[in-house]
Amino acid sequence: MNPLLSLKDLKQINIDYYTAAHMARQNGKFVAYVNAFTPVELLYAMDFIPIYPENHAVILGARRISLEVAPEAEKLGYSVDLCSYARCDIGSIITGKSPTFGLPKPDLLLVSNSQCGTLTKWFEVLSRMYGAPMVLIDVPHSGNGERDQEAEKYIKGQLMELVDVLEGISGKTMDPERLKETIRLSREASDLWTKVLLSATHKPSPITVFDEFIAMAPIVAQRGTKVAVDFYAKLLDELEDRIAKGIGAVSRERFRLFWDNLPIWPELRRLSEFLDSRGAALVTSLYTWAWATLAVGEEDPFQDWAEQYLYTANLHLQRRIETYVEYAKEYCLDGFLYHSNRSCKMVSQDIPELRRAVTERTGIPGVIIEGDHNDPRLYSIESIESKIETFLEVLEGRKHREG
Amino acid sequence: MGSDPWSIFEDLVSDFLGWARAWKERTGKKVIGHLLPDVPEELIHASGAMPLALEGASVSVGRAQEAMPGYTCSHALGILELGLSGELDFLDGLIIPYVCDTTRNLYHTWSNRFPSKAHYFLRLPKRIDHPGAREYLREELKRLAGFLGGVTGKTPTEEDLEKSLALYSESRKILRRAYSLHRERPTTWTLRRLSSLLASAMRSPREEHLLWMRSLPWEEPGSPCSHGERVPIYLRGKVWNPPQVVDALDELGFTVVGEELVVGLRSILDGGEEGEDPWGRLVSRFFSLPLYPGYHKEPKAAMDEFLSRVKRTGASGVIFLNPKFCEAAWFDTPDFQKALEKEGIPSLVLEGSARGLSMAQIRVRLEAFRETFGGELP
Repeated sequence: MNPLLSLKDLKQINIDYYTAAHMARQNGKFVAYVNAFTPVELLYAMDFIPIYPENHAVILGARRISLEVAPEAEKLGYSVDLCSYARCDIGSIITGKSPTFGLPKPDLLLVSNSQCGTLTKWFEVLSRMYGAPMVLIDVPHSGNGERDQEAEKYIKGQLMELVDVLEGISGKTMDPERLKETIRLSREASDLWTKVLLSATHKPSPITVFDEFIAMAPIVAQRGTKVAVDFYAKLLDELEDRIAKGIGAVSRERFRLFWDNLPIWPELRRLSEFLDSRGAALVTSLYTWAWATLAVGEEDPFQDWAEQYLYTANLHLQRRIETYVEYAKEYCLDGFLYHSNRSCKMVSQDIPELRRAVTERTGIPGVIIEGDHNDPRLYSIESIESKIETFLEVLEGRKHREG
Repeated sequence: MGSDPWSIFEDLVSDFLGWARAWKERTGKKVIGHLLPDVPEELIHASGAMPLALEGASVSVGRAQEAMPGYTCSHALGILELGLSGELDFLDGLIIPYVCDTTRNLYHTWSNRFPSKAHYFLRLPKRIDHPGAREYLREELKRLAGFLGGVTGKTPTEEDLEKSLALYSESRKILRRAYSLHRERPTTWTLRRLSSLLASAMRSPREEHLLWMRSLPWEEPGSPCSHGERVPIYLRGKVWNPPQVVDALDELGFTVVGEELVVGLRSILDGGEEGEDPWGRLVSRFFSLPLYPGYHKEPKAAMDEFLSRVKRTGASGVIFLNPKFCEAAWFDTPDFQKALEKEGIPSLVLEGSARGLSMAQIRVRLEAFRETFGGELP
């Protein structure tokens, strides 16, 4: 394995981010809990620091603190079948166990159901817990991505109303020039992140999806700030240097694989080493690409956000199939690893159909592995490794046959 | 019809797919299936088809697990199973309402598996407190009317819709009277009979159902309820899952004085406002119903309103019938239980699932719950 040096900067970036959130009130700023597909550029422009309870849950999962906090939420009646991010978050609030000293109390909860319905329900629990106001951006699912002008109008109306809510909480008026600036920075970061993801089309790939999972924190949480731009510019320099020198992220790249769905955070290192030792490079994934498509224009950002949440972010099976078929070609994939994630029904329930269709269209095999993004009690890592091992043997056989 | 006026309802419910298939063959009319929550039956009726409510919860699942993972709720898996086994081939169309992530994914899977069968994804808005949601729903219902017209050859006009609204309003009024009789005389108007009445209404031509209902013993005195013997309860959930829970509640002396099931009171409440056009009345009805767990309004208000609904009925206890893997229901439950506890109202959570569910275990839990209210078990 060849670790990327730029990733070391993330430690300080994260410390600064969580410290700023904890110090928000002292600095005349506000805290908004958010999820994916919410207009963070607008929040930054209006002095709200967007905080992702999901990201905090990831930290708990990656450090396996999930094993201590999730059961505490279950004791309160939150079923083990609920998303493990939510159980970890609620358990962390109850116990106070958190490497970031918890999260600051929110002034606002802002959620979009374009990502999933789970977040709406989870935030409803938090809203009652903190007595904080909540705004749902309701995005009607556009079926197979067909144009829905009524939905665009409905979403845009909710976004315009959000400005009033933010102004009401902060007592400040939205400054269009500041919004333009955060949008510009967001687009710059998104463009850089896109180039980072595309760098993996090279052989050998200078980066793996495991690196991307770690590197994605700023594009998620700090889109619209200079921090994100500077970080990705530096990372891209390192990747371009690797490409020029022919250095791969995996020691001896033999297989190029796709990872579907969220990571299994508690097993990130173990799976990364497991795959590296077998020459398997995860070169791209749906999850990391999701953050490359969120930039909007300065002219009518509200319309752009509405269209983005409705048509781009909103998962459509047919479009997902088309995208995977394109990835297969662009990244020269040998196989697909589909993570059937108990905690993310939204992204997982389509997987059997997805695998069937993608393999039919591309001839490239895929394997479904049963896991969970944060709760190690809900899967067996040994079974996952064994399944991947067998899959790699199948791929090896195909390579031999194809010469 | 035999001598028992209840038998027609019970027989129909016990094999409603067979009944609907035979009805279609007999009449040559169209049958459009729907997956329950808040699909406007009146609109389907106005297009000339018979709306057929489908439940997947009690279907034994096999092949469906190849197409969707096992951690999917039994409602979705059961419907998929019916589709894969050919049981729904006779339907002229299927409407899947968007009420949660699983219905969204079921729609995709269904589209991929059965691309040539007419189906529609009904985009129900989730923000019950937002004026834009009303406008959106109105347009969406008009789109649904267009789909129905494509299937039946008759796109409903406002006049058609007015007639259907009047018919459904009349039917619902009588069904609400039946509900009142269950509260007053639960040993005659048992929950079993009441649930058969409601379930059959959603699975038969409503005009005929009205006629059948008229032959029921409405004026028969029966045994009035003695509050010392029975426990008034309130239920929150989606469907009667497992179906035998209905009999257990009757046998253990519970009287359902209120509930929020999509196959229960929710299906027979009126809500359209006078003076509105028929589309406006459909929209108003949707927004006036008790909040379905998959929808959203200010979270504290949603909980407080639930508590008020429970208290208004005078229920002594609450039962949550939560489908396994239903995130919307399970996220609400702990806070809602806590709120009930503060008011001194005991509650019980029962988990429904198509697999590994033991009615015996559920009965034991219901018996224990019944004992908390004192008195001898019936």
